[in-house]
Amino acid sequence: MFLLPLWTDITTSFKSLQDVIYTVPIELPRSPTIEPLIAAFNIMERPLVNSLTFTLAATVLSCLLGSINGYALTKIRFRGSNTMFLLFSIGIFLPYQAVLVPLVLTMSRLGLYNTIAGLILVHTTYGITITTLLFRNFYGLIPDSLIMAAKTDGAGTWTIYRRIILPLSLLPFVVAAVLQFTSIWNDFLFGVVLARGSEAMPASVALANLKGTTEFNWNVQMAGALWYALPILIIYLVLGKYLIRGYMAGAIKG
Amino acid sequence: MDTWRGLLKDKVIEMVSITIKNLTKKYGNTIANKDLNLQIKDKEFFVFLGPSGCGKTTTLFAIAGLIKTDAGEIWIGDELVTSAEKGIHKPPQEREIAMVFQDYAIYPHMTVFDNIAFPLQIRNTDKHEIEQRVKKTAELLGISQLLDRKPKQLSGGQRQRVALGRAMVRKPKVFLMDEPLANLDAKLRVQTRTELKKLQLDLGVTTIYVTHDQVEAMTMADRIMVQKDGVVEQIGSPDELYNHPSNLFVAGFVGSPEMNFIDCTLVEERKELYLDAKEFKISLPAKMSSELKSYIGTEIIMGIRPEDLHESKSAEGTTQENAIRMTLDLIEPVGPYLLLHLKAGRIPLVATVKDTKAKTGQEVIMEIDSSKIHIFDKKTTKAII
Repeated sequence: MFLLPLWTDITTSFKSLQDVIYTVPIELPRSPTIEPLIAAFNIMERPLVNSLTFTLAATVLSCLLGSINGYALTKIRFRGSNTMFLLFSIGIFLPYQAVLVPLVLTMSRLGLYNTIAGLILVHTTYGITITTLLFRNFYGLIPDSLIMAAKTDGAGTWTIYRRIILPLSLLPFVVAAVLQFTSIWNDFLFGVVLARGSEAMPASVALANLKGTTEFNWNVQMAGALWYALPILIIYLVLGKYLIRGYMAGAIKG
Repeated sequence: MDTWRGLLKDKVIEMVSITIKNLTKKYGNTIANKDLNLQIKDKEFFVFLGPSGCGKTTTLFAIAGLIKTDAGEIWIGDELVTSAEKGIHKPPQEREIAMVFQDYAIYPHMTVFDNIAFPLQIRNTDKHEIEQRVKKTAELLGISQLLDRKPKQLSGGQRQRVALGRAMVRKPKVFLMDEPLANLDAKLRVQTRTELKKLQLDLGVTTIYVTHDQVEAMTMADRIMVQKDGVVEQIGSPDELYNHPSNLFVAGFVGSPEMNFIDCTLVEERKELYLDAKEFKISLPAKMSSELKSYIGTEIIMGIRPEDLHESKSAEGTTQENAIRMTLDLIEPVGPYLLLHLKAGRIPLVATVKDTKAKTGQEVIMEIDSSKIHIFDKKTTKAII
């Protein structure tokens, strides 16, 4: 049952407009065509590239920063580290809508309104709250004696991060990356508010725009949705097994 | 022997003593260390002994530079590495110390080779030399065949050796060991204990070893510091600690089975001193009288080690001095000796004897070797004799 929407999406993407009207949505197309897919791709190409660019960049940045934060919060105890962590955690619960107005003002003042760089900045900032939490919890499982051993072995703070922490972080990196990629890719609100122009428009916004004001090209819309879902599908297929291992790692070690 | 010298031949022989002056460390309101003064000699095997939470690991971490102290100074050789007053705190990586941890702390993502090579790699040592030194170290520890393995595939004993190898490979000034044998099973622990002691003798590196196991401390140490609640109870050789404990705590902590403690009153009769334990009386040798003079009439605690209680040969021993009639509650055969649980009236005592004909429940006559008696002030718990 839960696969029906996906099924409908796929069947409709291969239907001509006539087929869409004369067949039931879940029915197979009578004369399969890839024209809707091409039409959708032509419109979506630029936004897809945009989305891919800022999503990848923000994912990498937020994971890396989250990892460094997690390391600092667990292994380099400093005054106020707990307060800082609390502030990070509060960030997770901060609704997007609450910051929209100041965000737009700030971004336009920084000259980042309607730019991909702006979207990267916003998504990275929002992302590090959750990635910090994730990495901090994982690093909590790494025994402190490992860090102390590395220190007495002669390693400084960054060497420890590079040589000890980072190589042990494959699992949280996969989990955080999937989490971040999906949530940034799926974001609509920041996209629609911060990047209305075509030069930075994300795919999520472009997909919504496929819905015309007077006519309903169901097949093109469905095809667009298919294109839009493709990267997420690939991510899960490739990283799925690591993801499951990552979810379980905490359970076993803890 | 020669192989060890080979490993160390390019090392400039350097005197490494460690001096600690007025060291204090607090965690919130808990005092982990109070005004600690200590001098560890060059090449010495020095053990910090004490129950868990007594501050011994804190002291070790302070020497390693892993924690900052609240007061006092630490000198390694003639270099001041920690001084709370002067604001000096050398980071651990600049102290030329090597540490072995209780959980070994070997890096799980690296092979045995990389684990041992890690301290050298960090110092950008020449690749060829790294390989040579790692191989030599592994050979000496008997883990050459494990160099390509990951820590996951190693047993506890093997991991322990890797940790040791990593500490040795770079020829540190000082070895710091934090209960390195605690996680090994009993048999391996005894074996490794011997090996570790030999290794330290051969390498001649000043070593500080933390343990709560008094047998480990006694067998390995040149000198021992006994700590309790952040305060030093006694510093001395194993022999001094065992035969001349300076207070009740050390007397009870060192030695197994534990020393017997009996509440007594010191009395003088016909110019002779006696310990009156209500159930029995023990006469004391005349040579003790000068130290004990001022305690006559006061309550004190007598201590006697289980091996200084002997079963009387003659059945008529009751007439003999310091022979006491006791009930034998239980016999525990330990192997090399028998452990007798006795009762003199209501006072429980433990004795170790080679052999006995007595059976559980019977009466036996035990002699106390009065020259081996320890006497403690009941108020201050300090040793009088």
